[in-house]
Amino acid sequence: MGAASLISSPLLMAEQLDVEKDTLKFGFIKLTDCAPIVIAKEKGFFEAEGLQVEVVAQPNWKQLLDNVITGELDGAHMLSGQPIAATIGFGTKAHIVTPYTLDLNGNAITVSNAIWEGMQENDEALQSDTPPHPITADSLKPMVVEAKEDGQKLPMGMVFPVSTHNYEFRYWLAAAGIHPGMYTSTDLKGFTDGDIELSTTPPPQMPATLESGKNVAYCVGEPWNQQAVTKGIGVPVVTNYDIWKNNPEKVFGVTKQWADENPLTLIAVTKALIKAGKWLDETSADGSLVNREEACRILSQPNYVGADFDVIKNSMTGFFYFQKTDKRPMPDFNVFFKYNGTYPHYSDGVWFLTQMRRWGQITEAKSEAWYHETAKSVYLPDVYRKAADMLVAEGALAASDYPSAEYDGYKPATADFIDGVSFDGKQAIKYLNSHKIGNKDPE
Amino acid sequence: MSFLEIDNVNVGFGPVGSRTEVLENINLSVKEKEFVAVIGFSGSGKSTLMNLLAGLQLPDQGEVRINGEVKSKPGPDRGIMFQNYSLLPWLSVFENIELAVKAVFPKMSKSELEEHIMRYIGMVKLTPARDKKPHELSGGMRQRVSLARTLSLKPEVLLLDEPLSALDALTRSELQDEILKIWDEDKRTVVMITNDVDEAVLMADRIIPLTMSPAATLSDDFVVNMPRPRDRHTLNDHPEFMRLKSEITSYMMGINQESKEGTKDKLVPMPKVTPKDFDPPSAAPKFSHLQEKSMSPTSGS
Amino acid sequence: MKLLSKIKYPLLKLIDISGFKVLDPPVRLMYGEEPEKQVRDILRYMLLPIVFVLACVVVWNVAGPKHKTKSGEVPTPSKVWTAAQDSTRFKNRENEKQAAFLVEGEVREQELARVKAELLKLEESAANLKAQSAEVTLKGQSEMDAKILPVKTRLDELKATLKLAKAARKEELVALADKVSQGSASGESLIALVEQDAAEYEKEKARLKSINDELDAIRDNPPAAVKKAQLDSNKIADEVQHYKKRIDYLTTGNRSMKVESAKEKELTAAAALKTSATGADALKQAKAVVSNRKKATSTLEQEYPRAATIYWQTWRSVATVFVGFVLAAAVAIPLGIMCGLNRIVMACLTPIISIFRPVSPVVWLLIFQIVIGAFFPDPDEHPLFRFMNHDNNPLAFLKTNPAMIFSACTVAMCALWPALVNTALGVSAIDKDHLNVAKVLRLGFWSRLFKIIIPSSLPLMFAGLRISLGVGWMVLIAAEALSSSDGLGKFVWDEYQNGSSQSFANIILACFVVGIIGFALDRFMIVLQRMVSFDDGSSTA
Repeated sequence: MGAASLISSPLLMAEQLDVEKDTLKFGFIKLTDCAPIVIAKEKGFFEAEGLQVEVVAQPNWKQLLDNVITGELDGAHMLSGQPIAATIGFGTKAHIVTPYTLDLNGNAITVSNAIWEGMQENDEALQSDTPPHPITADSLKPMVVEAKEDGQKLPMGMVFPVSTHNYEFRYWLAAAGIHPGMYTSTDLKGFTDGDIELSTTPPPQMPATLESGKNVAYCVGEPWNQQAVTKGIGVPVVTNYDIWKNNPEKVFGVTKQWADENPLTLIAVTKALIKAGKWLDETSADGSLVNREEACRILSQPNYVGADFDVIKNSMTGFFYFQKTDKRPMPDFNVFFKYNGTYPHYSDGVWFLTQMRRWGQITEAKSEAWYHETAKSVYLPDVYRKAADMLVAEGALAASDYPSAEYDGYKPATADFIDGVSFDGKQAIKYLNSHKIGNKDPE
Repeated sequence: MSFLEIDNVNVGFGPVGSRTEVLENINLSVKEKEFVAVIGFSGSGKSTLMNLLAGLQLPDQGEVRINGEVKSKPGPDRGIMFQNYSLLPWLSVFENIELAVKAVFPKMSKSELEEHIMRYIGMVKLTPARDKKPHELSGGMRQRVSLARTLSLKPEVLLLDEPLSALDALTRSELQDEILKIWDEDKRTVVMITNDVDEAVLMADRIIPLTMSPAATLSDDFVVNMPRPRDRHTLNDHPEFMRLKSEITSYMMGINQESKEGTKDKLVPMPKVTPKDFDPPSAAPKFSHLQEKSMSPTSGS
Repeated sequence: MKLLSKIKYPLLKLIDISGFKVLDPPVRLMYGEEPEKQVRDILRYMLLPIVFVLACVVVWNVAGPKHKTKSGEVPTPSKVWTAAQDSTRFKNRENEKQAAFLVEGEVREQELARVKAELLKLEESAANLKAQSAEVTLKGQSEMDAKILPVKTRLDELKATLKLAKAARKEELVALADKVSQGSASGESLIALVEQDAAEYEKEKARLKSINDELDAIRDNPPAAVKKAQLDSNKIADEVQHYKKRIDYLTTGNRSMKVESAKEKELTAAAALKTSATGADALKQAKAVVSNRKKATSTLEQEYPRAATIYWQTWRSVATVFVGFVLAAAVAIPLGIMCGLNRIVMACLTPIISIFRPVSPVVWLLIFQIVIGAFFPDPDEHPLFRFMNHDNNPLAFLKTNPAMIFSACTVAMCALWPALVNTALGVSAIDKDHLNVAKVLRLGFWSRLFKIIIPSSLPLMFAGLRISLGVGWMVLIAAEALSSSDGLGKFVWDEYQNGSSQSFANIILACFVVGIIGFALDRFMIVLQRMVSFDDGSSTA
């Protein structure tokens, strides 16, 4: 194998951009949805773009964001809400942008055994090894009411104030008329007026808090729901796929300043991520995901996610255990590329903004225009498009794999929510006002 | 005439009113190249006296003069040899002396320095131990290092603060001889503090008892009129030695008794010791003078 | 023989200085000195402790697995040993990949051929094992199903009967309630019946639960053969993946190959430039020449991006604690000397020392992150990091970064106090005679300081530094865990986050590594302390 044959190798076929910075450091949290970043590194997609990348595990989301802001990291695996919250100044203030959505779905809500029994008592239909889905919080409500009458608020856990988990959990509860609590300028924990108390818990501690009764339910990514099943301490009742079909989960974020200083590098990174996402979602003729097992093996290395291969495999290869007896195919539990999932849609940003306003993280009413301006200042579809166009030119991507040039960044209105409320990204305030519980603003 | 003088010195502590005097009304004059021993019980303020001489402590009243010059600070012109050697334990024999010599003779060249130091190490017979650390040496050897260090500074006055009291009898006599020999070869003014009458008689030209503290004072001196070199082996048979020894001992005992009884005004009966067959002309008046004095209150003034 | 007897006393002295008194009897025994006494000492002070430690390991081995925790059971010594081996294998793999990345020319081709051949063999056995594992799993599954079936039937039957019983009780309750409302039965009897119903319900739940537990027990314990087959198959699949990655690094990922390809492209572009038809095309080709030329040179300097191994993390921790310790000493010793020399300085500093000494390292870390973080707005461009991470710097492998500085500062802040207090004590407790010597010699301030005061307080100073280093090492692990600065602390935290079946064993492994390094550091300080102490070392026991 000589140098001549090497040039024809597909990896180096890519036309390398003249990047501003070729040695990069990206941060991630030990969750399976960091996969695109890890895969882009391990499968040589970054290399092919002429980038030497180091990926470093971060202890928590706050630290990760701080490290991106201080420049210790060039970019990172972030919660979708993080760039938006940082940009509008909820929590740490910094202008963060994202050209790429890493994945869709991937979370679930798990309740303790006691709560599950209670829910089964309240709803006959649940008294089965394979209850019908989706399961709403309706059967949970009587217990919440009862506890509240006893002067207690049921404690529940989520990952981070601006995480998708927080909004999904609140959405699920509110859809059944359970008030999850409001954030106010003085209540940064979001307990005000709540029927329950939803507080932050680091993912690895979720199962332990469930077992000790510190939380009676939690919403978290994998492998922490599957672990509750394996240990027999709780039952996942609903995945976020059921709460909002194909919701955006994590993004790749960099600071605005970094993006401005390294425009070509950002495009090169995006190219590599697109390739990684596509590789992760590659299917064989019969529709099974062909590369997931290899991906799981890479992720199970201790310097990446580090969980047992079997555990990671459980959630990433298209199945989900709701109970030990209840294994269901969930081909879309982790989506890394399909459904234009990785494209940075403005409407995704608008949805998170409406949720932040709904629960009071944004303390005052904003104009309709503000929602769109903010979303547009965070999401960078132009970068994505440039990267994708280049990949098409190189033959690594089909033009049908991403939205066409006419696309305005707003997904069509959809009612794929557990409560059937329709969301049209172009009408933020109208959507905000269509919810029963939460802040409402004049249109 | 006198080379070293202590003039009406008082030292004490405590606030005015309830002041306790340690030394009171101290007067001392030492001639050049004279060897004076101050003898006293432990706790009588000997060390305070030595500190005064060395300049480590200032008198509350009065002054210390050397060669007519008032001394208020310590300095290498008064070489002091401490009871517990005061060697720096992290330095070897050579380095200990080197530190001192360098400080006092900063202009000495390297080879001169080495030669100078080695001469004094040789003088105290420690040449083989030049690189040993103090903790590797016996007490006697340490004191010799201390002696060498003191001598190497070529002080005008040598102050010996109970230099031998921590040593065993054999080492002690050995060192006594050595100090005497060195002093003999290169005479200097020496003030030695001791609690050993034999030692004082053996070594000194003049012996001055220090009364008990508080408010200790120097009483009148005993002159040792014995020829040098003095031989310790024959000394015991020397009538003058015997006489002085017993006289001083009795005197000291008397002081002690007095102090114990808490009264200083009481008369101290001095034993009438008659010399056996030795009656030097100068000794008698001295002795009678002492007798006379001792009849009066010792610290009456 | 002569040499042997010559080194006896130096050897014994070395043992004494290093504080390994335990080794004294065997050495003396070797020289035949009082054999009986030495043998007795060996038995007492060497063998018995060893036996005791072994006994502890046995107790651990037996008691550990009995204690079930929320994250699995306590790993046995052998599991910890396996974890250590796995960590080593991980390191070796990194080494192999690094070697593959760097290898050039003919050697590369030979290596590639060798790895490919091995991979072929591996893949074959991997396929075999996978088939085997599938077979065993299937068999195991049917075994389990067979076990589950009767229990499950029992459960279903019970559920059915209980449902009936519940319905019957409900009917009874309704009937009695009707009677009560008509006045033909007492309210008390209804209350009693409600209570009885609740009690029955609890009993039923308990019965159901016991059967469910039985089911869980069966499901949780698949046949050992299945577990083993899966484990083996997994292991070899892992190996296969590693070999594939190595091949990547030997071909497309290889540094020399990347340089080659950039040069090749440069040539192509240069050729194209000569034949370019339009100005735009010429410009494009010229740009390609420049960028590929740049690429070739920058690739030449590329390093293999090593993943963090426990070995590297240990080094980094030691480096961090050393930096922190030096910082602490640099502040504590001058301050301590000033405190010891001057009572006013001491009085001024005492309140500060008293208030800050008990503050937790976590608080310091957060403060330093905020305060010191401001000095590194752009870590990549900061001169300190550029210098530390420059290719020619032998310390570049430590990958110095702000997080490391924060951790080091936290270590320094917490390690400061023992050194400071002890130095102050050492200086103020200096022997009066030594000071008198200085006075008599009329030493100036500086020579008094350097020739008398500092040497005299060295033993206490070093005793303080030794405590400082111990404190620093303990603090460091916590600081690294929190600041995600690479090191043993981060290793532990990462393992905790990983939550894999081996995490617990890895945490215990880290516990031993931390302990052993801490012990070594302490010994190191003892040796230093003995070397500066001028007495016979008895004060440092």
